[in-house]
Formats: sequence, structure tokens, C-alpha cells
Amino acid sequence: MKQKVPEQKLRELLSKIFEVPLNAISENASPDTIETWDSLRHMNLVVALEQAFNVELSDDQVVEILSYKLIKIVLQERGVEFT
Amino acid sequence: MMPLNFGTIADSVISLPEMQEYVHSMEMSSDSLAIPIRFNFLRNVTVEGIEPYLKYHCYASGLKPKITFGDYGTIRQEILDKTSHLYATSPDIVVVSLFLETHLPNYFQSDWRAASVINDLQELFSSIAANTNSIIAINTFVPPFFTDFGIANTALSTNRYYEVLQLNQLLRSFVQANPGRFVLIDWERLLRLLGEGESMDYRFWYMSKAPFKPRFLNLYALELVKIAKALKGKSKKCLVLDCDNTLWGGIVGEDGIQGIKLDRHAYPGVVYYAFQQRVLNLHERGVLIVLCSKNNEDDVWEILDKHPSCLLKRTHLSAWRLNWEDKVTNIQSLAHDLNLGLESFVFVDDNPSECEVVKSMIPEVTVLRVPPRLHRYPSLLDQDGLFDTLTLSTEDRQRSEMYRAEATRKHEQAKYENIDDFLGSLNLSVIIHQAKPDEVPRIAQLTQKTNQFNLTTRRYSESQITSFCDAPDWAVLSLSVRDKFGDYGLTGVLIAKRETDSGTIDSLLLSCRILSKRIEVALVLQGLDLLEQKWPVKSWYAEYIPTNKNHQVEKFWQQMGFSELSNDNGHARYRLVSGAPRHRPISFITIQEKRDEAEGA
Repeated sequence: MKQKVPEQKLRELLSKIFEVPLNAISENASPDTIETWDSLRHMNLVVALEQAFNVELSDDQVVEILSYKLIKIVLQERGVEFT
Repeated sequence: MMPLNFGTIADSVISLPEMQEYVHSMEMSSDSLAIPIRFNFLRNVTVEGIEPYLKYHCYASGLKPKITFGDYGTIRQEILDKTSHLYATSPDIVVVSLFLETHLPNYFQSDWRAASVINDLQELFSSIAANTNSIIAINTFVPPFFTDFGIANTALSTNRYYEVLQLNQLLRSFVQANPGRFVLIDWERLLRLLGEGESMDYRFWYMSKAPFKPRFLNLYALELVKIAKALKGKSKKCLVLDCDNTLWGGIVGEDGIQGIKLDRHAYPGVVYYAFQQRVLNLHERGVLIVLCSKNNEDDVWEILDKHPSCLLKRTHLSAWRLNWEDKVTNIQSLAHDLNLGLESFVFVDDNPSECEVVKSMIPEVTVLRVPPRLHRYPSLLDQDGLFDTLTLSTEDRQRSEMYRAEATRKHEQAKYENIDDFLGSLNLSVIIHQAKPDEVPRIAQLTQKTNQFNLTTRRYSESQITSFCDAPDWAVLSLSVRDKFGDYGLTGVLIAKRETDSGTIDSLLLSCRILSKRIEVALVLQGLDLLEQKWPVKSWYAEYIPTNKNHQVEKFWQQMGFSELSNDNGHARYRLVSGAPRHRPISFITIQEKRDEAEGA
């Protein structure tokens, strides 16, 4: 399912889930740069992405999306076009 | 920041980031009115995912949550280790989240039996009860969604599926046998509401032993918040109903008794009939039912008295305002007459503008609108546990009887010019004594629910009350009241503790239904006399802790002859030297210490 989404929406989502300022969500954001990105928040991240983009991530994708870049790639594979 | 609409079952769900944003903003703000509530989870699965949902519903209900999790799968150790979170955080509510898959080593063998597991579980739960004062919320187990032996399963007298169902039934019995201490969160029922697809997340189950999807976590959190609200005195006490298009379809003034829609079988009248059944059910639980409607009074009575399908009768009502005044004025005067705070009212009306006016003018009142999708109406009052109490006491079941006696009293009062003459005519008789074990549930409930005549507003659970009763340096006194019109039941509590040569009044409270009768004076005078017989103390200390509901007792200790020692932003401390002159005894109240044998107690 194709959908166009402003990239800002993805940044805001991560900022709320990890309770960090928006500018902490850089292209390189990952559990190494964001202290609150632990395994529990990671589950919340998956739930929030699935709700927001109306997709269900595969088992592999759940495990893979360990950086902002990888999240974008996975969502693009699932038909999301960021603007 | 107002909570966003987070629907229950059928409605749309706000997103997790929005919820976290709301929680975050509430954590940053210092809302001093929010009541603290502490949860500690003991679990053998990953349930941390519940945290945003639980926090969200707590903040939306005026509660300020503190949530801690014991380590994964270490329940027994946490109970044994006196330095664990279980003790360090002194939780109001201990939540046990238990899965059989991780609890029973032989769960997947077909030879385990519910009967052999239940003893082990009861022992585990009881050891939590023995070591804490908390309310303990346990869960029923998730039954297998598939059967081990396929269709042949049904032919087997013993199989894993039936054993789990049976074990759940044994857990329900266990909780029934220990009311007030244990509360059951019936996962089996929540699963029935949502189904497996919306409840279970097998990805996270296999990756991190986190079994639940968001909607299940949300329902689980809502159930826990119901317990928290009941424990912290947030249950509603009075249901205010509009009449036309609320108790029946149509307008009685125009359609007449023949024309309104109210019927045992036929749509849409049957929906109103079903709603009335729910109203009667609440009446049975002790919720006061009140009418507030713009109607000719006689039209309404004609329906209540004569309509064959009108379940609600005059005798169910504690009060009414059937007139053409605005609803805000009417609700305020009802609150005054019933001696209840506006925050204990729930108002139901079909008219969106009436709802809006009440909501904006008296925001304390919970306003519910008759849903435009009428089929949802009967379950309107079941949601969110508005009227829930942890247990039902005898007083709850008799409450409307008592309020009817009160109406007779009010009527009688009009005949007297002088209030003392009137009170004298009531033949008031009070019984004050040390709390007996069978009174503990009602006493705990009073500490949880009483808001107005409550000097310190300390909320206690049944087990805390029991431990006060058992401790030599604590005392719990109960007050029961009767007059010539009827019995008010157990309606007052005084809790005191003893230091070396002084005593402190920890709590003093009176149910709103016996206010304005000088009974509080009798309770304090007789209470201190009784206590001094066993504690030879030199002075008494007392406190007033202000809340936004107990202003009426701000000066109470001064009136009783206590002198103020300190005052910290309204939180005042007082002292009374033992033997100093106290308030003069109230001549028209008879005081007894024991229940009469003749009454059969």
C-alpha cells in the first residue's frame, strides 16, 4: 500500500516514544545515541510505527530496525514514501 | 492538558506516542490535587509495556501513579527479600502478572491438574498478603487457544484446556473467599472481549516473553485503574437522570403515557427498558438514583407509577427536581440536600447542549450523553467502573432505605423552629466501641470514600485497619447511629495511636448522611473517654489536613476545645491537655458502648 508521509512525522513519533527532544532524532539515531532506546521502548517503537503507518512488521524487521536510517528503509520497503 | 478520548472497546484508540506525550506533560506539571497511587508488579512475564497505558488512565482519573516492576520471574525471592521493591515502595496495589507457561515446569505435559496447582498458588498469594498491607490484584490464566488432541480433545475427561478453565474457576473462588484483600483481574474475560488476534503478540512473546498487544494492555490498565479509583475514594455515589429520551423514548408532555417508547420487547422502547435494568442494578449496589428533568411533575409520576414497562419506581429515588429551573441550579441544590460533593455525581441526559452546560458550569460532575447510536446506551454506565467499590457492604445494600428515612426526617424537621428541638425529637442513639472484625470492611470503605467530614483523609485498606486493631498502641473506634426513623448503620470512625504519654488522632471521619446532628461531638467526647480508660495519656494531638473537599471541618478541633500548635499552609496541628474542659456533652444523644443483645446484633 503506497502512502506519502512527511518525514517530520516519523521524527516526532520517535521523539515522543523515547521522550527525547526532536533534535536528538538525527539520521544516525540508534540505541547507541539515545539512552532511552532500550529493549522495552523498542517494543513500544514497533507498536507505534505499526499504528502510525498501518503496517505489520515481519519478525526480521522487528529485530532489524535498530537505527533511524534502518527504520526509514524498512518503512520504504513497505510502501511508505517520505516527503 | 485534557486527556484525549481513549475509547474502551468499540471506539478508536489514541496512538501510543500521543499517550506518552500526555503522560510526559502530566509528569512535568505539579498538579497538587492528583492523588498518589503506587503499583508494584510481581510477574513471570514481560509486562512493562503496560506502563504508558496505566499512567495515562491514572492521570486522566486524577491519580498520580508510581509504578515499579519486580525482576522477571523472581516472585518468591521478592517476597522473601525484605529490601525488594515490594517492601521498599510500600505499594497500594501489588499486581501479580502470572503465566502458567513460565510458572509450571510441566505445563505442556498433559498430566498436570488444576487441583494440584491451586494450593501452590494460594500459598504464594497468601504469603504476599501476610507480608504487606496492599490490595493484591491477581489474574486468571490464558486458556490454550487450541486443544492438544484436536477434535478428540472433547472426548477426554482431562486435558490442558479444561484444566486451565477449572483452575481459573478455583481462582475466582479464592478471591471470593478473601474479599477486600484480593481483587481478580479476569484475563479470561478480557480475552473474550478482544479475542486472541487483538490480545496476543506472539512475536514479542517469543522474542522477549512479552505476551500482550496494545489493546489488551489498555484494558488490563483500565481494570487496575478501577481498583485504584475505588481505593482512593474516587467512586461515584449518585446517578442523576434526565427523563424524556433518557428514561424512555419520546417526550411525555407531548406523546403522553401511551405514546412514549418504553417496552419490554419492541425496539426502540426495549433499549430504554434495558437501560432502566442497569439503573436498578446500580440502585441495588447502593448508588443513589435521582431525577432532574424539565417536566411537569405529574407527567413523570404517571409514568413511574402506571407505565407497565417502567421498572424505575418512586421508591427507588432518593430525590428529584422535576421543574423548569436550569439543570446546574438543580444539581447544585441536589448536592446540598443529599450532603454529597458534586464530584460524586454522574449526570445522564440526551440533550447535547444540556450536557455541555453542566460540563462547563460544574466540571466536577461526570456528564454522560445518551449515545446517538442507541444500542450502545444500556452499557453506558458499565464503562470505566464509575461506581465501583472494592467490596459491597451491608450499608451499601441498605443505603437507599436509609435515604428514604432521611427524606422523612427532612419533612419532620420543617415542623420545628429550633434545630436542637428537632434533634431532640429524633431519639438519637449512638454506639461507640472498639472496632470488631466484622466491621473492618465497612471501616476501610469509609476511609476510602469519605471526603467531606474527614479531618485527615487518610485512605486505608482492610488489612491496614486490621493491623491497627491488633496493635496495642493503635485503636480503631466505630460509631453506629440509630434514631426513631431508622438505622444509619456504621457511619463514623476514629483511629488513634499512642506515643509514650500522649495520644494522636490519626483519622476522624463521619459519613455525610449523619452530618449536622452533633454526632461528631459525641464521637470525640466518648471516643477520648474510652481511649483514656486504656491509655493514661497526658495530652491529645490532632491534625487537620486540607483537601478541596473538607473545608467544613477546618475549625473542628478548635470547636472541640483543642488549641492550635502550628499551621503549615492550612495543614494544622492541635493539642488538647487531657482533663481540660472539652465541648459540653450533647444532652439529646444516648451513648452506648455495646450493641444490645436484644437487637440480636
